[in-house]
Amino acid sequence: MSSNSTSLKELFLNGIIKENTIFKLALSLCPSIAVTNNLKNGIFMGLAVLFVQTMVNITISLMRKVIQPKVRLPIFMLVISGWVTITQMMMAAFVPDVYAKVGLYIALIVAFASILARAEMFASKNSIMPSMVDGLGMGVGFLFALTAISFFRELVGKGTLTVPTGLATQHVFTFINTKPLLIMVLPAGGFLAVGILMAAFNWLDTKYMKKGAHSSH
Amino acid sequence: MTGKDIIKITLNLVIVYLIGGFILAFVFANASPKIYKNNEEAEKKALKELMPEADTNDKLGDWSIHDKHAKYFISKKGGDTVGYIIQSFGKGYSSYINTFVAVDKDFIVQKINILAHGETPGLGDEIELDYFKDRLKGKDIEHLKVLKTETKEYVEAISGATISSRAVTEDAVKNGVAFLIKTVNPATEQHGSISNEVKEGGNTDVKQQH
Repeated sequence: MSSNSTSLKELFLNGIIKENTIFKLALSLCPSIAVTNNLKNGIFMGLAVLFVQTMVNITISLMRKVIQPKVRLPIFMLVISGWVTITQMMMAAFVPDVYAKVGLYIALIVAFASILARAEMFASKNSIMPSMVDGLGMGVGFLFALTAISFFRELVGKGTLTVPTGLATQHVFTFINTKPLLIMVLPAGGFLAVGILMAAFNWLDTKYMKKGAHSSH
Repeated sequence: MTGKDIIKITLNLVIVYLIGGFILAFVFANASPKIYKNNEEAEKKALKELMPEADTNDKLGDWSIHDKHAKYFISKKGGDTVGYIIQSFGKGYSSYINTFVAVDKDFIVQKINILAHGETPGLGDEIELDYFKDRLKGKDIEHLKVLKTETKEYVEAISGATISSRAVTEDAVKNGVAFLIKTVNPATEQHGSISNEVKEGGNTDVKQQH
C-alpha cells in the first residue's frame, strides 16, 4: 500500500515538474500565450484546464475497455469536447458572472494538445485512480505555469497585478504607473516570457535534480 | 480486417457518439432556460446601470451598423421619457467595439459602456477604463470628436490608442446618437410635444367658453 501511495505522489509531481506541459513538453503554447496578459486570466484558464483534464482522464480511463483502438482518437475528441461544452453550459447557467469573464477561454480547451496527449498516453492505459492523479498533476502543473507566465508578463509589461478576489471580482495592484515594458503584454512578449521562464524552470530543475540524485545515493 | 471488425468498430463509434449526444442534450435541456434567463437579467442590469434614473428600459427597435445587429431602448420614469440607450459598434484597430450609449432626451451622452472588444492589451483596451469613458460624458453630437491634444470641450484621445479612441467616439457613439436623433426625434418627441400643445389649447378654449 505504501509503495502505491508514493507512486501516486510521484505521478502527481510528474505532471508538475518532470513533464510540465508548458515548461518541459512545450505543448499548448498557443492558448497559454493568448490568455496570459494578466494574472487573473492566467489563473482562471489554469483552473478550467485542471478541471477538464481531470474529468477527461477519469472518463477515458473508465471507457478504456470498451473503446476500439482504431477509433480511439475520435472518441477522445468527443469526450474532451463533451466535457468542455458541459462545463461551458453549466457555468453559463449557474455562475453567469464568471462565465462572462472566462467563457471565451473555455472553448479554447477543446483544442488543447496536452489534454489529448494525456488521454492517449496515460488514461487509456491505466485505471481510474492513477488517471485521476495524473490529470490533477498535469492540471496543477499547467496552472502553475500559466500563473507564473501571467504574473511575469503583467508585472513587467504593465506594472500591475490583477488578482482575483472572488469568482467575479478582482483587485488591481499597481506597482509602477507607467508601462515599463509594454511588449511583454503584447503577443510577441508572450514568446519571450515563455522562453525566459522555461529556461529558468529547467535551470532550477537541473540544479535540484542533481542535488536530489546526489543525496539519494 | 474482416467485415465483422468493420461492423464492430463502426458500432463502437456510433454508440459512444450517441451516448455523448444524449448526455449533451440532457445538460443543454436543463441549462438553456437558466442561461436565457441569466442573459435577460444581465441585459436588464446593464441597462439599469447605464440609466440609473429610469424605471423602465423598453426595447424600441433594431438597427444595424457595420453589418452588425444592434438594439435601441427608450428609458422612462413614471411614464415620461428621460432618455434613450442604443447599442452600437465601432471599427477599432483590431476589432469591432461593442458599445452601449445612454443619452438624455436632448441626445447628450450620459454614460457609455464597452461590452466587448479585441483591442491591443495595454493600449487600446484602456477604452474600457472609466477615465476614458468619462471623457464622453456630457458631449452632444457636435462635440463627439477626438483630439490628440488636451481638451475638455471635445474628447481627448488615449495616448498611444488614437484609433481605438476614435472608433468609440466618432464611429460607435456618434453614429448611434445620429441614428437616434434621426429615428426617434421626429417620431415621438415632436409628436408628443405637438399633442401637448393641442391639449393645452383645447383646455384654454374650454375655459374661455365657460
